[in-house]
Amino acid sequence: MSDWRRIDIDAFDPESGRLTSKDIEPPYPSQVTLQELSTKISQLRSLASSGDAKSAVALAVSDPPYSGDESTKNEYFKVVLETLSNVRQADISGIVSGLTPIQQDVLVKYLYKGMSIPEGQKQGGILLAWFERVTQVAGVRPVSHFINDRNTV
Amino acid sequence: MSQSLRPYLTAVRYSLEAALTLTNFSSQEVERHNRPEIEVPNTSAELLLQPMHIARSETEQVLIEPSVNSVRISLMVKQADEIEQILVHKFTMFLEQRAEAFHILRRAPIKGYSISFLITNKHTESMKTGKLVDFIIEFMEEVDKEISEMKLFLNARARFVANEYLGEFVY
Repeated sequence: MSDWRRIDIDAFDPESGRLTSKDIEPPYPSQVTLQELSTKISQLRSLASSGDAKSAVALAVSDPPYSGDESTKNEYFKVVLETLSNVRQADISGIVSGLTPIQQDVLVKYLYKGMSIPEGQKQGGILLAWFERVTQVAGVRPVSHFINDRNTV
Repeated sequence: MSQSLRPYLTAVRYSLEAALTLTNFSSQEVERHNRPEIEVPNTSAELLLQPMHIARSETEQVLIEPSVNSVRISLMVKQADEIEQILVHKFTMFLEQRAEAFHILRRAPIKGYSISFLITNKHTESMKTGKLVDFIIEFMEEVDKEISEMKLFLNARARFVANEYLGEFVY
């Protein structure tokens, strides 16, 4: 105990009022598992293969698995990335303007997530094209929602 | 501006516009201190906001980390070969040594990035936020141009020197 003056005693006090990243996560009633998502994932794949990009993207960005653990989110994200990269450049504008504001917010969350991991960075150009269209339609709103939202995808 | 650069800069512009809404915020830990919350360890998690990654490719990225009273912006400048690595390192070091005159420049980049900026509420109060965003965007445009120009110049110079020097040995 030579360095006792440097011990951060507030860290041991349960009533210090400090919050960790765990504390500010919103409470979820239940945790989504990969099994529960599998029907949605197969639905997404069949929509994408039938060429119905518009409803595939709309389905991908509605009701995302906020409460899942990291691996569930990553598995789901891979499917979303696949869906987004299958869309033709010319169709992006139409699809984005057909989404509701909440769906646009979720789309932006997935775009930022994609650009933070190596799988998405390889497709940076595609994600940036999506991002540009979203900002053309909705402006800065989905971005500021992303910054402040504690629900992560 | 090239076709692929424009969406990249647009994404950075919108992200910065959203992030640069800073307010004066005194430290919750130390009395009468006012410090950039993004830089201090042991801080409370509620003061930090979601970090934003913007990537054009694996080698060209921007990381924007917002917090309640400061934003840290880190650029990864494209470095295709060893010459560019050296040039980027020298160039950013040159700027960082003069960080005092630059106000928003951080003295050392964060790990994995070439150069970092730190904008606090003091800066947004004394400068126009829109102009700060414009400066970052312009810097990103210019730095690529500058590095490739320097590389061309360096190669031309090396060729000339080698010609002059080795010309002595040609009979």
